[in-house]
Amino acid sequence: MSILLRNIIRFVLLLLLQVFVLNQVLLHQLVSLNLYMLFVLLLPFNLPRPALMLLALLMGLSMDMFMNTMGVHAAACVFIAYLRPFIINILSPQGGFETTQKTPSMTSMGVSQFLTFAAILVFLHNLVFFSLEVFGFGNFFYLLLKIVCSTAASIFLIVLYELLFFSKK
Amino acid sequence: MRNLIIFLRRYFNFFLFLLLEVICIVLVFRNNDFQKTAYLNSANSISARLYNRYNNVQYYFHLKATNDSLVNENARLHNILRTSYDSVTLDNLVKTDTIRTYSTDTTRKVIGIELRRYLYHAAKVVNNTVNAPINYLTIHRGSANGLRPNMGVIGPSGIVGIVRSVSPNYAVVLSLLSKGRNFGFSARLSHSKEMGTVRWYGGDAGYALMEDVPKSVRLIKGDTVVTSGYSALFPENIPIGYVESYSLTDKGSTSYTIRIKLATNFYNLQYVYVVDNMLQDEQKSLEDSTYRLIK
Repeated sequence: MSILLRNIIRFVLLLLLQVFVLNQVLLHQLVSLNLYMLFVLLLPFNLPRPALMLLALLMGLSMDMFMNTMGVHAAACVFIAYLRPFIINILSPQGGFETTQKTPSMTSMGVSQFLTFAAILVFLHNLVFFSLEVFGFGNFFYLLLKIVCSTAASIFLIVLYELLFFSKK
Repeated sequence: MRNLIIFLRRYFNFFLFLLLEVICIVLVFRNNDFQKTAYLNSANSISARLYNRYNNVQYYFHLKATNDSLVNENARLHNILRTSYDSVTLDNLVKTDTIRTYSTDTTRKVIGIELRRYLYHAAKVVNNTVNAPINYLTIHRGSANGLRPNMGVIGPSGIVGIVRSVSPNYAVVLSLLSKGRNFGFSARLSHSKEMGTVRWYGGDAGYALMEDVPKSVRLIKGDTVVTSGYSALFPENIPIGYVESYSLTDKGSTSYTIRIKLATNFYNLQYVYVVDNMLQDEQKSLEDSTYRLIK
């Protein structure tokens, strides 16, 4: 399967999963399950940065369309799309990742590196997302707790996704 | 100028980032005047259609709960219906379940107390036959819920049968679809108020016969046949069926035989209401004692 097709399928799959499954699940008011940003995380390494940001914007606006939160998802997605190359640069060993796979995953980056990568970006995403959603830092501790809990939940979901869709090669 | 272009090209990514973020933030702020962005919310055709599909599926899974709640609601409404109460005189014994009626002028005098006569229990049909000569329904309500033998059973659109035997949680209902010379329902034509008896003679579960209607009555096709209220089993004016066609049994006969289309669809019966007539025992014992006197 080509990388393009793979990403298109992932886009649709994650969007539907997020809207129709994860957003219907109410665990706790502090935990909201977000997985759709995985689309931005798993775009190919060599994608130029403007393309990365525009794709993230597309994903974010699609989510906004369903959730009636105009621009909130989009802002968070564009934010992590912009920061993604920096994080990859910091985490990559000298000379970059030498793998056959062109997309970030547990096998191409290594488990610990991938988890760090995912954790940082998901945290940043949730930081922007919930700050914009609440709009204001009135109840700062609550906001922080919500960000941390939701990030933990998202990382758990990402690990599950990875274990499901990537075979070890 | 050249320097400016070089500067812009070098930081192109950052400026694009800023531009996109500004767009997003503007969208967030403009979200309030929703008319301007109405094409990008969940009311647009794509997401609305998807949501609608999804809701169709979800609705299907909740049908059971929805049905249950509707049936309970119906039973509750049946129970507060005026016709479920019976008028009594004021000096009579005090019963707890009554409706008081007041005069409409300013004095608000009590002009009557109506006593509950009929109590409805909703019940789920768990087994039902229509093809046998004598058909039974099994319903999921029993003596634990106050059911006794010889209670009337009605469906959403008409009468269904009579409770024959009860266990703690289930009851077996003798369906209207039961052949038998001595099994009939006291009925009345709603137009001419003429009495008759409705019986089922086998065959099609959608039709029954009404007999003993005098030849003198003018019959109308489509007239509703309702319960008479003479038997203690059913309240008055519950539909039984509709006049389909009528004929004289033979030349010398003095009564019509009317073919009626049954109001209840026995093929898809899901819920029924068991009618508890609170005054049934009283009526019955009075009638029996009078018969004994005459004998």
